[in-house]
Amino acid sequence: MILQTALLIGVVLCSVLAILLRDLLKSAVSLAVASLLLGIIFFRMDAPYAGVFEISVVAGLITVLFILTISLTRAGEEVRETRLARWAFPLAFVAFLVIDALVMKGLLGKVPALASAAETGTFGEVLWKGRTLDLVGQIAVILAGVFAVLALFRKDDKHE
Amino acid sequence: MSNTWYLYLFFAVALVLAGLIGLLLKRNLIKLFIAIEVVGKGVSLLLLSTGFAKGSILTAQALVVTYIVIEVSLVATALALIINVYRHGKSLDVRGLAKLKG
Repeated sequence: MILQTALLIGVVLCSVLAILLRDLLKSAVSLAVASLLLGIIFFRMDAPYAGVFEISVVAGLITVLFILTISLTRAGEEVRETRLARWAFPLAFVAFLVIDALVMKGLLGKVPALASAAETGTFGEVLWKGRTLDLVGQIAVILAGVFAVLALFRKDDKHE
Repeated sequence: MSNTWYLYLFFAVALVLAGLIGLLLKRNLIKLFIAIEVVGKGVSLLLLSTGFAKGSILTAQALVVTYIVIEVSLVATALALIINVYRHGKSLDVRGLAKLKG
C-alpha cells in the first residue's frame, strides 16, 4: 500500500514535471518515466498485459516518436509561454487537488454498482471472445492512422 | 477495498486535472500534446483501478490495451500534423494557427 502510494505520487510528479519543464526533451523523458511508473502500478494491480503494453508502447514507442518530432522541429524551444503559466499552474493544481480530496469521497458513495457476473477464464478469452468488436475497431483505427500519416507526408508533385 | 479505490481515483483525477490545466495554459504545440498524454494516463489509471476494485480486472485490462493501441495511432497522426504545421509556419506557437491566411 505504501509502495503503491509512492508510485502514484511519482506518476503525478513526473507528469506535472513533463508539463512544467521548459526543455522539451526533458519533458518527453519525464513523460516516459511517468509511463514506466504507471506500468509498474498496473503490474502490481494484477494486470500484467496492460503493464507490458504501457511500458513497451507508451514508455518506449511514443517517447521515441516525441523525441523524433522534437529533433525535427528545432525552433520549438523558442515559443514564448505566458508568464501566467509559471505561477498559475501550481496554484490551480493545488486548488483542484484540495477540491478533489474534499469532494471525491462523497461522490464515490453515489456511484451505483453495475450488476455483473464474476469474471471467469483468462485474459485471452475475455479479449478474443468478449471484446471481439474492440479488436476490429483497433484494426480500423490503426489503418486510419497509417493512411493519415501517409496523407500528411505525401509529396505534392504539382508544386515541387 | 473502497479505500484503495479512493486512493487510485484521487490520483487519476489529479492526473486529468494536471493535463487539463496544462492544456489551458501552455502555448507550445508539443507541450499541449504532452498534456493530452497526461490526461490519457489518468483515464487509463481510472479504468484499470475501477476494474480492480469491482472485480472485473480482465475486462478493464482489455479496455486499457484497446485504449493504448488507439493512443499510438493518435500520437502518430498528431505528431505528423505538428511537423507539417512547423514546416508551414516555422513555429510551434499555437497562436500562429489562429491566422488562417496561408
